[in-house]
Amino acid sequence: MAGNSIANETVNQSRNREPFSLRRFLTNKYFLYCVSICLFLSLWDYVAREKIFRDSLARPLEVWDQLVLLTQIKFAGTHLWGHIWASLQRVLIGFVLASIVAIPLGLFMALNRYVNAIVKPLFDLFKPMPPIAWVSIAILWFGIGETSKVFIIIIGTFVPCLLNAYNGVRLVDPDLYDVIRVLGGSRRDEIIHVCFPASFPAIFAGLQISLSSAWTCVLAAELMNSRDGMGFLIKRGMDTHQPTLVLGGMILIAAAAYGTSLIVSLAERRLCPWQRTIDNL
Amino acid sequence: MSDMKLKLRCENVSKTFIQKGNQEVPVIRDITLSVYENEFLVILGPGQSGKSTLLKIFAGLEQPDTGTITLDGKPVEGPGPDRGLVFQSYMLFAWKTVRDNVELGLKLRGVPAEERRKTAQHYIDLVGLTGFERHYPHQLSGGMKQRVGIARAYANTPSIMLLDEPFGQLDAQTRMFMQKETARIWEQERRTVIFVTNNIDEALFLGDRIVLMEGKLPGTIKTEYVLDLPRPREHTGMDFLRLRKEITDNTELVL
Amino acid sequence: MAYKEVVVKKPLLLIILPYASLILFFGLWQAVVQFGIIPNTLLASPSQVLTTFIDKLTNANPDGATMGAHAWTSIQEAFLGYLLSLVIGIPLGLAMGWFNIAEGLFRPIFELIRPIPPIAWIPLTVFWFGIGLAGKVFIIWIAGIVPCVINSYVGVRMTSPVLIQMARTYGASSWQIFTQLCIPSALPMVFGALQLALAYCWTNLVAAELLAADSGLGFLITMGGRLGRPDIIVLGMICVGISGAIIGFVIDQVEKKLLAGIRR
Repeated sequence: MAGNSIANETVNQSRNREPFSLRRFLTNKYFLYCVSICLFLSLWDYVAREKIFRDSLARPLEVWDQLVLLTQIKFAGTHLWGHIWASLQRVLIGFVLASIVAIPLGLFMALNRYVNAIVKPLFDLFKPMPPIAWVSIAILWFGIGETSKVFIIIIGTFVPCLLNAYNGVRLVDPDLYDVIRVLGGSRRDEIIHVCFPASFPAIFAGLQISLSSAWTCVLAAELMNSRDGMGFLIKRGMDTHQPTLVLGGMILIAAAAYGTSLIVSLAERRLCPWQRTIDNL
Repeated sequence: MSDMKLKLRCENVSKTFIQKGNQEVPVIRDITLSVYENEFLVILGPGQSGKSTLLKIFAGLEQPDTGTITLDGKPVEGPGPDRGLVFQSYMLFAWKTVRDNVELGLKLRGVPAEERRKTAQHYIDLVGLTGFERHYPHQLSGGMKQRVGIARAYANTPSIMLLDEPFGQLDAQTRMFMQKETARIWEQERRTVIFVTNNIDEALFLGDRIVLMEGKLPGTIKTEYVLDLPRPREHTGMDFLRLRKEITDNTELVL
Repeated sequence: MAYKEVVVKKPLLLIILPYASLILFFGLWQAVVQFGIIPNTLLASPSQVLTTFIDKLTNANPDGATMGAHAWTSIQEAFLGYLLSLVIGIPLGLAMGWFNIAEGLFRPIFELIRPIPPIAWIPLTVFWFGIGLAGKVFIIWIAGIVPCVINSYVGVRMTSPVLIQMARTYGASSWQIFTQLCIPSALPMVFGALQLALAYCWTNLVAAELLAADSGLGFLITMGGRLGRPDIIVLGMICVGISGAIIGFVIDQVEKKLLAGIRR
């Protein structure tokens, strides 16, 4: 790119190469990462072995064994995969339902100030209420089945989806609309060619926030009341005082949350190839 | 000049903006101006002289409070594809490739894909961006971005080009180079051009005629210069330097 | 320069609509309960909630504490956890942003812990600390520390490299650049974290109290659920919402005051 650029307009992409030394090796990022992980695991192991929290912390290997065991035997009626799928299913249903409604509503609010004037006050009313505060009333309304769990997730994911879609459109540089108008486009063209693509990154940021909120919500719902799912594993571990089960559940839910957020990132990179990647963050 | 065909006529145009909710700021007052067919008109003025607003009114993006604009005898009432606008801050669509940016105007007017592609390619080649069709704007340097902006305006085949300080964000060398390119493109694709700038050299290098704006709000026209210099011009020619001195003496603008 | 002042009018409809929408909402809510469209056992009307609220100000029944006591418990827990997360999270994030060794050593651990929803820690904290204050403070701390670290880290990382090079040419030491340049330029981001962390703390406080508590606003909601009293549930939800909004507003004002000189 820098080489065949025209008219002395070059882009500097050079990088210093420093000579190899022990100091450089010791302060190398990846070396330090390895040290860090090893230290963390051995500290965890030490604390668990010495029973500093009495019998309330399991050693890392015990947790691993517990997880492996769960893949082989049925626990509360299903294998490990069944529990993962139970939670994932709830998250996906709630997340998809909420984003299908919230994103268009957010876009609509940003595009039409009358819609905004009607919806915004109601939205501001519900916004400061933590989604988890809805758990009790959801159980009262929908019982302890799937509906109440999905309901909580919808509540938790709706707000960030809507807010980001709304802000994504409002923060578009208004001069970009002028470009369309000058080129002879209509209001519809402005929305299709400017509003939607420009708000894409913000919408994706909202989806990421929603997703992490969805996992918190599903966990809360499952901790309150459930017969399967990763939150159920944690809850059962709590009730029967099995730290291995609790820690195993925590690791699983972290991995699941991380995995789903990775999928959203990949989708974003696919759908928004124009996005500049920011280094070092 | 009177023997030339009138292209755009601007009569007694004034515009007042409302700032911070309730303050009236007069931006331009009583501008009367004629632009002729295939002429390269430069509107020269320092920052805060209302020249960009005037251009936006020509483009139809702003409505004048008083006065009228007529283009080819028809009054201007809103933006339209008969006028191509190039923005100071490029205003490229970050989510479209160079080609899609250039094609956009044609696409909005429903030109079939094949013809669109051909026209776009012609103007991409004209501005010297061959080989960069599939790049996204963030992969281009400032000068290249503005080339895309110019190609995008040209591709829509407007009958008049409006350029709003197009090289304001470029470094001095790139700016000079882009001025030469602009002169070259203009000679290849003869169009009426209105070019707004705050740079005297740029104005002298490009213009057939220079309209000098007063350096304070509300903007008014101070005087007009007709340039009879042969093209291609040199920044160090005798006539060039003489005119440069004359205009410099006549402005509060410090270079 | 003095310019002439004019009055800009907003369309009347735009002024009325927000109020109309709120009134309609509360009216509908009242009506569906009043006329039994939604049974009283599932939802309490706004007027019922208001009555319960006035009653709960002095009456400790049926959940064991007055409104004030619940609110006080929650605020205490929230602020302790919040302060702890600021005190530890911000310096940690700042250091991670500037010192390679700090980043190398802490970032992987942070990244490992980050995706775990804070409420997943509840069982462990119950094992470790019981259901008292310490356990909830721990959970809130975990919740609040994530935005603190991330924002401080990003804030330092976003320091203009030109300014850093400038400081180097003036002979500033690494420590001087960190304290004199990176920290001030990271401040707006850090203040952004204050808001964010508080919102996280507040959400997770409610969750922690729902699951393991004997008083607090979240506990009030749980009790409402157990007793089948929708008025108490809704009252708890509203209180949590309003207190969250008030705290957010206060932080916002403080931020504006403190940042007046940095952000224009």
